Amino acid sequence: MPPVNGTFCVTVMKDRCINAGMPGKCATCVEVCPHDVYAIDASGNVYVQNYNACVGCRICSEFCPEDAIRINPAESEIMTRSPWTFPQIEEIHYKAQTGQYQLRGFGTMGGYVPSFDNITIVPSQISSPAPRDKYREECNMEVVIGEGTCEHPIRLHYPFVFAAMSFGALSKEARMALAIGAAQTGIITDTGEGGLVQDETWLVKGFENKERTLKRWEPGGYLVVQWSTGRWGVSADYLRAGDAVEIKIGQGAKPGMGGHLLGAKVTAEVAAVRGIPIGSDALSPCRYYDVTDPADMKRMVAFIRDVTDYQVPILFKLGPSRPYADIKACVEAGADMISIDGLVGGTGASPAVVTQGVGIPTVALIPPAVQALKDMGVHRKVKLFVLGGMRNGLDAYKAMAMGADGIGFGAAAEIAMGCRACMSCSSGKCAYGICAQDPVLRARLNPVEAGQRLANFIKATAEELKILTMLSGHDDVGDLSEEDLRAMEPNIAAITGLKLVGYERPMPWWENGRGNGSNGNQ
Amino acid sequence: MSLVVDAKGRDLRSVSAELKEQVAKGPVKVRGAAHLHGLVAGFKSGDVTITGNAGDYLGALNDGAVIRVQRNAGRYLADNMTRGTVIVEGDAGYGVGAYCYGGAAVVKGNAGDFAAVMNKGASIIVKGDVGDEVATYMLAGDLVIVGNAGKNLGNYLIRGNIYIAGQWETLGHNTLLAEMTESDRAKLRGYFDEYGIEADPAAFKKIVRLSEKPFYK
Repeated sequence: MPPVNGTFCVTVMKDRCINAGMPGKCATCVEVCPHDVYAIDASGNVYVQNYNACVGCRICSEFCPEDAIRINPAESEIMTRSPWTFPQIEEIHYKAQTGQYQLRGFGTMGGYVPSFDNITIVPSQISSPAPRDKYREECNMEVVIGEGTCEHPIRLHYPFVFAAMSFGALSKEARMALAIGAAQTGIITDTGEGGLVQDETWLVKGFENKERTLKRWEPGGYLVVQWSTGRWGVSADYLRAGDAVEIKIGQGAKPGMGGHLLGAKVTAEVAAVRGIPIGSDALSPCRYYDVTDPADMKRMVAFIRDVTDYQVPILFKLGPSRPYADIKACVEAGADMISIDGLVGGTGASPAVVTQGVGIPTVALIPPAVQALKDMGVHRKVKLFVLGGMRNGLDAYKAMAMGADGIGFGAAAEIAMGCRACMSCSSGKCAYGICAQDPVLRARLNPVEAGQRLANFIKATAEELKILTMLSGHDDVGDLSEEDLRAMEPNIAAITGLKLVGYERPMPWWENGRGNGSNGNQ
Repeated sequence: MSLVVDAKGRDLRSVSAELKEQVAKGPVKVRGAAHLHGLVAGFKSGDVTITGNAGDYLGALNDGAVIRVQRNAGRYLADNMTRGTVIVEGDAGYGVGAYCYGGAAVVKGNAGDFAAVMNKGASIIVKGDVGDEVATYMLAGDLVIVGNAGKNLGNYLIRGNIYIAGQWETLGHNTLLAEMTESDRAKLRGYFDEYGIEADPAAFKKIVRLSEKPFYK
């Protein structure tokens, strides 16, 4: 059951609707809606049979030939019945009727979460290095991962990655689109923990055929294969198929829990890749069954390097927990790059209480994570990527000025492919075929078109990052620093250690070295 | 006549590089390897004998090699194996055959907790006793225990079979005691003949899953 039922108003404008004038003539909305909002009666009249089933995906509106449908958020009830808003009442009814807690995907909903929005960028003027000319000067955005530790470091064209999203959670077409998008932009696509879709291996290198004779996309991207607690589809060959191996420790959607793919999405193809029964929930353990003491992770990294013949970097992915200590543990284990996923992140299915209320906000993860790298003398050598609700060049700039080497896009990548954030990812009823396994829904997603949209999104976002980097006097994204940022309110200054606008200093506890996470249990 | 690799005092990378060269020429014996973790990982072929004790993660991701240990092995033996065979004459630690997709892991002594955890298709045979939580969330394959088992045997079993001749302390969730068939006994006889284990298939009980979908409804 999607969690946001009843929060959308479905309006069909009868003066435009073809069916209203000629019953039986058109029923496009009935055909495209995967949630059975519309129905058709014996006389051919289309009607809205269940307003509460609408999740706001707007596929009906997009496909309506006469633009006769409007889907708008229902009026906010926060002022009238808070805290008993309609979704909260529905949630209690659901639990009372079924005895089950709610599951959903697509990250944290609503409410206040500290974010990058309350940080501003300081442009260059006369007192600082002069701005660079975005139109006539170059700006370096390359990020190298694994230099000095493996034979084939990754050279990202832009400081971006597509976050790990598995085959199973995503359709095969979406996985292919991510590979095509990465191929056109020279960035990473990550298998997540659902095993390998074979087509990805050549698409990500820019080839449109298995034989790798037809090169279509430049410059070619990188495929990261994930090693996780469920180890779905993992073998020596799988590890060797990647340009890097990522060891997943946690994720923003459900830190402290393992991956959860609902049985509705475990089709024959997904089941075959994962080695599980068709229709069975794929529940990854919350921890590694083959790691029982701190030294084990280092040993695991050592044999993965050996199996991959010391050719490729080893990456780690963390959920939002205790960033200072967790980052140090990853470095000690031998990481070349660490991705840390924040509270807001979460394309994966998760119990609603976990995705809504567990973990540290993305913006608050960066200072202690960077401090850990600095304390170990590996800042900028072991790369830090930040994930979790990253949307645009502004977010990228701010995260990188705080010390990250790059950022990752999960939900934003899905939206770039056409997603409308209706939050029914885990149900298997994605109207755009991105998170669906139903062949009818999957057919709606053209991998080449979606791949192009992803590439466009990445290139436009990179241009935004370039503009912001150069107007603040830099010609290399690696030169951004905290001095390029100001917190716009005390709370964000307190969390990040950035100088507060007007005050022009960090909050007092940051000035004497406290608050960076290295002195506490962070 | 086997080739010999002396691992004493050397690191994984150098021993592994030499081993990869030598296995192409014929059977190889490795001595002094107890300090190495993740040895013989991901090999597609080869015949390797560890003459003393072995470290952790021996034969991890094994993809076709035959690996023997003349004494004891550490933890996570044959971790995530897909093909091949790993045979230990003595005991093995925690997590024998964790995450395997195929192949066979044979322990002629005792094995620790969490053997066959998330096994997805391998045959895991233990001549002695096993610890707690063995075959937890097993998804396919066989676990054969000639001795006894500890607590929570087969916890949340999804598919595959557990055969046990001895006793268990407790059975895990989603388990069911099933009838042994002639086909089961023939399979066990095949395992015992192949790996030189003295046991009577008629003495075994069989445990299977109760429901294929025991988690979220």
